[in-house]
Amino acid sequence: MIVALGRRLAGMLVVMFIVATMVFFLTRLAPGDPAALMLGDQASIADVAHLRKTYGLDRPIYVQYALWLKEVVQGNLGNSIFLQRPVLTAIGERAEPTFFLALFSILIAAAIGVPAGIASAVWRGRVSDQAVSGGSMLAASIPSFWLGLMFIQLFAVRLGWFPVAGYGPPGASFAERLYHLILPATVLGIVNSALITRFTRASMLDVLSEDFIRTARAKGLVESVVVLRHGLGNALVPIITVVGLTAALLIGGAIVTETVFGLPGIGNLVVSAVLRRDYPVIQGALIVIAGIYVLINFTIDMIYTLVDPRVKY
Amino acid sequence: MSKPTHPWNSGQHHGLNRRELAGLALGAGALAITSGGRDAFAQAGGSLNLAMIGEPQTLDPMASTADLPSLIMMHVYESLYTFDAKLNARPMLAVDMPKVSADGLTYEIELRKGVKLHSGRDLDVEDVIASLKRWIAMTPRGKSVGAALASMEAKGANGLTIKLKSPVPALVVHMALPSGYAAIMAKETIATPLASYVGTGPFKFQERKPDQFVVLTKFDGYSARSEAASGYAGKREAKVAELRFIPVPNANTRVEGAIAGQYHFADQLPVEAFRRIGGSGSAKPILMMPYGFPYMVTNTKQGIFANKKVRQAFQLALNETEMLAAAFGDEKFYRTTAAHFPPSSPFHSRVGENVYNKADAVGAKKLLAEAKYDGTPVRILNSKQYEFHHAMALVMAEHLKAAGFNTQLDVVDWATLVQRRADPALYEVYITHSSFYPEPMLSPPPLSPGAPGWWDTPAKNAALAAFNSESDPVKRGALWAKVQEVIYDEVPYIRVGEFAALAAGSMRLQGYVPMPMPAFWNVSLG
Repeated sequence: MIVALGRRLAGMLVVMFIVATMVFFLTRLAPGDPAALMLGDQASIADVAHLRKTYGLDRPIYVQYALWLKEVVQGNLGNSIFLQRPVLTAIGERAEPTFFLALFSILIAAAIGVPAGIASAVWRGRVSDQAVSGGSMLAASIPSFWLGLMFIQLFAVRLGWFPVAGYGPPGASFAERLYHLILPATVLGIVNSALITRFTRASMLDVLSEDFIRTARAKGLVESVVVLRHGLGNALVPIITVVGLTAALLIGGAIVTETVFGLPGIGNLVVSAVLRRDYPVIQGALIVIAGIYVLINFTIDMIYTLVDPRVKY
Repeated sequence: MSKPTHPWNSGQHHGLNRRELAGLALGAGALAITSGGRDAFAQAGGSLNLAMIGEPQTLDPMASTADLPSLIMMHVYESLYTFDAKLNARPMLAVDMPKVSADGLTYEIELRKGVKLHSGRDLDVEDVIASLKRWIAMTPRGKSVGAALASMEAKGANGLTIKLKSPVPALVVHMALPSGYAAIMAKETIATPLASYVGTGPFKFQERKPDQFVVLTKFDGYSARSEAASGYAGKREAKVAELRFIPVPNANTRVEGAIAGQYHFADQLPVEAFRRIGGSGSAKPILMMPYGFPYMVTNTKQGIFANKKVRQAFQLALNETEMLAAAFGDEKFYRTTAAHFPPSSPFHSRVGENVYNKADAVGAKKLLAEAKYDGTPVRILNSKQYEFHHAMALVMAEHLKAAGFNTQLDVVDWATLVQRRADPALYEVYITHSSFYPEPMLSPPPLSPGAPGWWDTPAKNAALAAFNSESDPVKRGALWAKVQEVIYDEVPYIRVGEFAALAAGSMRLQGYVPMPMPAFWNVSLG
């Protein structure tokens, strides 16, 4: 087990190195100039060149890469060109809205997707199954920005129940900040529930046709125990996988939803950084996101061993 | 819009089951947090929520010529001069307009006495000199002034003498322009980058949380001018306790936020939202016309557009009316005009009407034949990040094809465009825009030496030299007409027309006066 864990951790480090290298070069391959954007439309070409030199952007790309990698290995992701603060600080400032948005979204998605998938599998072929399948197809097809704007129209503008956008005014309490996440989390929850529904249904259908389910029913167990304890219990591995991967994607930044709802999260940070070519932020944020993704995958693999004793490393 | 009546407000009494009780508890919780629906998000009671198009590049007004840093920080830092509602330069920290020597080489400026800095100390001439030196070192406009500067010396505690090697007739408007501007700062705070923001404005810097807000608070010790307010000039008064500049990059969210009452002011909205805002009953549309002008810079250095006749054919083929209609829709949002300055300006000239907005495909073909145009594609560099740029490019391409041009639309994001426009091998024309300035030497950039487009001809240099060495306003007007004539002849850029800026304001917003850069002193909530 310990050897397997060590192997996995070494693999994670290799993945992170490859990610860091790809992120650096892909970012630099994209055209665009942060110095020109920083100085504005009226700046002269000479001023732009001067600022590029100040940031070291005039050096050969392999020199920039070596210097950057050396700092990253030491845990320093550099300083943002536009935000005038360390990249890690900028990411840390955005961790709270992104984390809680992801948490609420995944809870809502699971709360919709798992029961709907179970119901759809149990009542396979009936009206309820068709309704759930149609609903999940619809949820998967709706663009999140459109649903977000519709929710803003209805719940924020017409009904006035929620704020349109933002993460609370200066000095907002924790509860007030979280209240600003209800609309975007609901939108993301609905959109992401579709995949969970489909996976739950498929997994449950597989399990419910197994012999041990027939045996459980033959023993005279009530149907809810058969479905939930024996059925769902054995169908959990693929469901956990898809819930985990969805959570990882959301923590990586629900870019569109954060933009529509004006949330100062990691997704918004990445979008702004890309538009401004704030290289240190793009590189740093993507490394952190990749790290979270790798860690969540690792955690999911560990959870497999808890829910399914047959899985061993 | 009336609020919906909820079951628990109906006044009917009946037994509640567990599900209804749970619903009641959830509803009560939500109400406790919102404290009464949308009003809770309006942050009433002395705070203005101002939805901006994004996060400012920096809060140092000299570190960028972009609008957003200046828009925010002009509430914190004031300049010696500023513009009134008719865009005439007026004194702000200076007592009056400068005394200029007959040869235009010496400027005597007297500072207002008793003006308090946000640190509590009185502003003095050393602060002004240190700030202007920084401006000259850091900003494009400051550098252009610096090239002609002989000396800058204090004359007592409140007097300043600026001596020039050659006349700079636009010196005062250079110092008045709120973009990469000559902000006057406390000398002890001057550093690069700035660590603190201490100025003399009616608001002082409080807090910045990137992608969330920049908060400015009322400066109680503000020393206001006594003249009536006009544009940015005259009496300034902080009528609210706090200004919150909130970055909201999504334009639709800014519109909805203004209608919902979350924002008291939403800047730079799509013109399609005009009716929706006007019909909402909760917000009002605010039009600033003219706000700015789209313009297209031609590459005079390299490629097929290095040939003047090809550029003239390009100019003759265009239908600016259709381009602006595609970009802005309704006529109340745009205006076609060959003049670069309005009739009220001393620089107004109708020179160029014979070639502007002609859509003359036949004439253009003739010029192309004379230029021996070989069908090389005209690469039109444009960005969809500004949708009106791209809409104009699409219409323009069709008119160019009708005139015999081959065209190629190079659509990129804005960051790519600002990089590529510096390389003459990559385009024939790029599309951009500028806000409206009252003085030719403030805009547009193609008039500056070395700017993308690389316009550098004897005719340009002669016309600009004559214009720049003349101090008499009337004579300068006539000399600008000559510059405009050269522009229409050599086509270094094409000014497409003028367009309006649409913003939305709360019905409670009082005292707001539309200006190219929104200002929120003298503004209150009714």
